[in-house]
Amino acid sequence: MKRDQKDIVNSQGSLSVSDESIARLLCDDNHVEEAMRLIMKKYGEQLYWHIRRMVVAHDDAEDCLQETMINVYKYRSTYSNEYPLSSWLYKIATNESLKLLKNKAGFTMSVDDLGDSLKDSVREEASPDADETLILLQEAIALLPAKQKMVFNLRYYDDKSYEEIHQIVGDSVNTLKTNYHYAVQKIKDYILEHQL
Amino acid sequence: MKDFDLESLSREMPYKMPEHFMDDMTERVMSQIGKQRKQHRERRIVALFASAASVAAVALLFLHPFGGGLDIPDYDSISQCASVDDLFQNMTADELGMYSMMSNYYGN
Repeated sequence: MKRDQKDIVNSQGSLSVSDESIARLLCDDNHVEEAMRLIMKKYGEQLYWHIRRMVVAHDDAEDCLQETMINVYKYRSTYSNEYPLSSWLYKIATNESLKLLKNKAGFTMSVDDLGDSLKDSVREEASPDADETLILLQEAIALLPAKQKMVFNLRYYDDKSYEEIHQIVGDSVNTLKTNYHYAVQKIKDYILEHQL
Repeated sequence: MKDFDLESLSREMPYKMPEHFMDDMTERVMSQIGKQRKQHRERRIVALFASAASVAAVALLFLHPFGGGLDIPDYDSISQCASVDDLFQNMTADELGMYSMMSNYYGN
């Protein structure tokens, strides 16, 4: 594989391959499997946690992540390098999470109606030694409408800028800021109300 | 009114990811991709054969239109065959003897 100047060797001696190099490999049929392994190594965990925050249950996150990676492979020719690779990956993962939630909601409910059942799953899925405030925070997030949840998670946990969130979610930056503001307010209210 | 500082909270999750989950997932994804690539290659080979077969069929149609190459008997040439009487006249005495012996044996 041809190394890019942006590919760097980190302190542990392992190579951190740049997104540009991965994207190039992804579009090359002879190196696509290498690209997929690099994506799993570099973004697998981030995508897993992004999905898990949306769907809560590990089993659902597992299915979603697998589907996300298969879609990355299947639709690799649609990737355009005008957006960062990470935004494209997050967008596919977000769509897969929403698809799973829509399937759970069925025809009679909307994704936003799943709040209570997702909130109940938080406590079931939490580790026995988990911090109570962190559980409350996840319950509050579970109760948010899907759009506010996506924006809050991407900003709070993944440190994404509003520009990056715009590339993933698609709404205008002002709408995203409003969504984040409402999400923060609802979360604070929930934690204050339920904290001992 | 009381306020709560979200920024002061740890970004940790209250859940755990099972051990070796990412390695297992990577292998599962790679195996799925391997299957898809194999299927894709097989479909391409079948498509290649199908198009080659269609080209061959069309070429055959143009080179030999409507079965022109088939050997249909020509009835004029049948009349040119030697008659059975001529065959007997050309037989030697031994051949005639053998013919008569075999005719008697098969009941002719």
